[in-house]
Amino acid sequence: MASIPLGTAQGLTGPANRHRARQASPQASHASPGRRADLRASTLTMARKRVALIAFGFALATAVLVLRVAMMGVFGGTGGFTPAGDALLPDRGMIVDRNGVPLARDFKSYALWFNPKAMEGGEPLTRPAGEVAARLVDIFPDMDEADLERRLASGKGQYLRRRILPEEANRVFEIGEPALSPPAEPSRYYPEGNLAAHVLGYVGADGKGHVGMEEVFNTSLTDPSTRGTEQVLAIDSRVQAALEDELLRGMGLAQAKGAGGIVLDVDTGEVVALASLPSFDPNHIDQKGMELMFNRVTNQVYELGSTFKPLAVAAAIDAGVVTNLAKTYPAGKPLRVGRFSIRDSHTIGQNINVPEILIHSSNIGTAQIADELGSVRMKRTMERLGFNERPYIELPARGFPIWRSGEWPRLTTMTVSYGHGIAVTPLHLASAYAAMVNGGIWRPATLKKLSPDEVPEGRRVFKESTSARMRQLLRLIVTDGTGRKADAPGFRLGGKTGSAEKPGDGGYRRTSLVTTFASAFPMDNPRYVVITMYDEPKGTAATSYQRTAAWNAAAAVGRIVPRIGPMLGIYPDENREIDLSDVRPLLEKGGAH
Amino acid sequence: MNTLSALPAGLGRQPWSVIIPLFLLVCFGASVLYSAAGGHWMPWSALHIVRFLVFLVMAMVIAQFSRDFIKMMAVPVYVLLVLLLMAVEAMGFVGGGSQRWLNLGFMTLQPSELMKPGIVLILARFYDMLPPGATREFRSLLIPGALIGVPVGLVLMQPDLGTSLAIVFGAVVVMFLAGLPLIWFITCGVAGVIAVPMLFFFALHPYQQQRVLTFLDPESDPLGAGYHITQSKIAIGSGGLFGKGFGNGTQSHLNYLPEPHTDFVFATMAEEWGIMGGLFVLFVFGWLLRWGLRTARDAPDRFSRLMAAGLVATIFFYTAVNLMMVMGLAPVVGIPLPFMSHGGSSMMTIMICVGLIMAVDRWGKRDVKGSFE
Repeated sequence: MASIPLGTAQGLTGPANRHRARQASPQASHASPGRRADLRASTLTMARKRVALIAFGFALATAVLVLRVAMMGVFGGTGGFTPAGDALLPDRGMIVDRNGVPLARDFKSYALWFNPKAMEGGEPLTRPAGEVAARLVDIFPDMDEADLERRLASGKGQYLRRRILPEEANRVFEIGEPALSPPAEPSRYYPEGNLAAHVLGYVGADGKGHVGMEEVFNTSLTDPSTRGTEQVLAIDSRVQAALEDELLRGMGLAQAKGAGGIVLDVDTGEVVALASLPSFDPNHIDQKGMELMFNRVTNQVYELGSTFKPLAVAAAIDAGVVTNLAKTYPAGKPLRVGRFSIRDSHTIGQNINVPEILIHSSNIGTAQIADELGSVRMKRTMERLGFNERPYIELPARGFPIWRSGEWPRLTTMTVSYGHGIAVTPLHLASAYAAMVNGGIWRPATLKKLSPDEVPEGRRVFKESTSARMRQLLRLIVTDGTGRKADAPGFRLGGKTGSAEKPGDGGYRRTSLVTTFASAFPMDNPRYVVITMYDEPKGTAATSYQRTAAWNAAAAVGRIVPRIGPMLGIYPDENREIDLSDVRPLLEKGGAH
Repeated sequence: MNTLSALPAGLGRQPWSVIIPLFLLVCFGASVLYSAAGGHWMPWSALHIVRFLVFLVMAMVIAQFSRDFIKMMAVPVYVLLVLLLMAVEAMGFVGGGSQRWLNLGFMTLQPSELMKPGIVLILARFYDMLPPGATREFRSLLIPGALIGVPVGLVLMQPDLGTSLAIVFGAVVVMFLAGLPLIWFITCGVAGVIAVPMLFFFALHPYQQQRVLTFLDPESDPLGAGYHITQSKIAIGSGGLFGKGFGNGTQSHLNYLPEPHTDFVFATMAEEWGIMGGLFVLFVFGWLLRWGLRTARDAPDRFSRLMAAGLVATIFFYTAVNLMMVMGLAPVVGIPLPFMSHGGSSMMTIMICVGLIMAVDRWGKRDVKGSFE
């Protein structure tokens, strides 16, 4: 833009050239100044060249500026650094639940710090240490006056109290000692207290996240470019609260050592709630809290017992081994496999069909179905359900299953079918049940909220038809079998109980159980898998002196689902039911005990 | 030729092709200042236009001066300005970490601003006196070196890096056009490349060092020293093609943008007027520079050519460095944008430059006319 045509700049036309010619000619008439005139002329030409050069430089700079303006206008200049966020940028990013409820956030809190240098060279305190200590004890009655006096007199900078309330900070300020100015320090605050503690984890004194998503997200929560955006979890804090509440209640009723629970979206793999009890308080990490950080749901592997039976049956139906649910299997006496014999808790019947095997939870019957399926196909299905690797979840603590590698012997195939000889986490089971009821697609579980286009494609484990059949059978277990205590009216729940003896020294310990209830609802169009688990429940008056899954884990689901259903948009409807007309007639007397 | 003829004839001779675009640019600048003041004429916008009109009259008066008068004034003006710079050092008051102003009672004077045309004038005068063949001799370098060194040293002591650079730039362009051997400039360029890092570490104040470092990586400290550049780039970038509309700039109105009415006025403008506004401003400056360089090219003699080109270079330096600064291509050095930024001293300087170029334009036309007479 600032250029002048280079041609004219050097050309011999134009007013100034004429002018030069006019000036030069009188001097050219003298002999000796002739050379000077030549010099003048060449100087002038050179000057014109240089003007052109300067013009070219200016034009270049202008062109760069024009380009830059255009580029900045079109591409937005700089990255999405929003000025409004600057002032609000937290020291550590916020974690919210799927509805935006804050689960972990920054909170400036006051500390009582003794700064003897505040007086800049003078005495640390303006009054005797004893008097100041007395006034501090007025504010904090639980502090030891003599100890405080000693610490104030020592003249060493130190924390007198780690956390004080804002009104306490005001009262400390009113003492009027510059050495006692409470600094505001950033700290991590979990507004919901214990809620989802194992999912969230905590922030240590080192400023790093530990245990839960605080550890997983540590980088993006602290990076200035990303910590302005909150991390959204798949967790629904209302569902989480209901799950923890009912699990805890059941824990008290059954006097269990611990409990675990999951609510999982069957179509996306999002973990809507995940609880491991007893929990800890991320706001106050102490030794006891540290001991409770172990996550039973994702880190502890259990032999989950009978909850595996529907998976084995599904594998057999899917493989075409079971084509007729009316086919019967002998169950009158223990099934001998080599030196080992498989028995049921009681004799169910001489010959029982597939629905009966499931509703009465027959080990003998399931083992025979698995035997017909064969170890190759059994193992392959279990692999497809992810039982041979750590569970898929973001959390750092993920337990590795006890998994028999290599070719499975016949006995392993049979014990795995009723949940023994294989140990997985409750989360493994939740993902497998989701695949069994959702039409047959297994998807990894996640604690991150997914938008519809982020949902993984997953892998097909079962046929659509197999899944439909399993929905009927699972529902049948709740309407007519061991899962009746879980039958929340109107929620069309289906599921399977599991009560496995915990392995101890030299074999299984008959006295200590791990009870599980694996379920999904509503069975006519499954939306959520709900799994509850109790560690060493006891038979108490509240559980009719029973300690199997039906009396604690299933009962807990029966209480949880009516609470969480409406939160998740599933309302009880007693007029709707999955069509059981083709399977119910197979039950001998229309139900079991 | 009668220099002060009847008014209509005098008006007709004015270079309206450059005055009118300049006036449009000033009006555009006033509208931006009006918006930056939250929709008020005061304190900036009205003053901006009034100042321009006053200085335009001044420029037109300067344009009527004869060549001999300007030549005669070069030395006294230079000496006076050097004395004033010394006076600033002696009794100037501290403002914004720098001593730059001289309080004359009725106005504050910034002699370093006036030194920008002053140095061009004295160097043009010097090379005009120098015989054409002498440009290859060292005296053609040594005397100007001293002429430049004294004021630049004084300005650096203030300390004001931006103005020092502007003075040096104008002077170097004059020397270049005067025909000093090309090899000298190349040597200086190479020496500069070596000297710049040393200057950076030993000559610059910590705040100036910080500005340079931040310029190299503004995002490293977006809330601290990089704040100016980052906010300015956001303002320009958020304007898009047509801007957010007059009075709708959030960056300036919500005070995210530093100095929305002075150094960063271009960013204020670009946010509200978009690329189109930016191109308009660049076009007018391009037009002005083109006119100035054409005047220099067609100047009737050595003195007026050197002076015109040096003054154009001074205007160019203001404009280019300010624009590069707000667009994140140069460090923040505190240079206002001519005709757009609010501020009297810089507008006076620029209008002195314009007036002198207009004078050269007039001399050239008169001489050409003379050649036909």
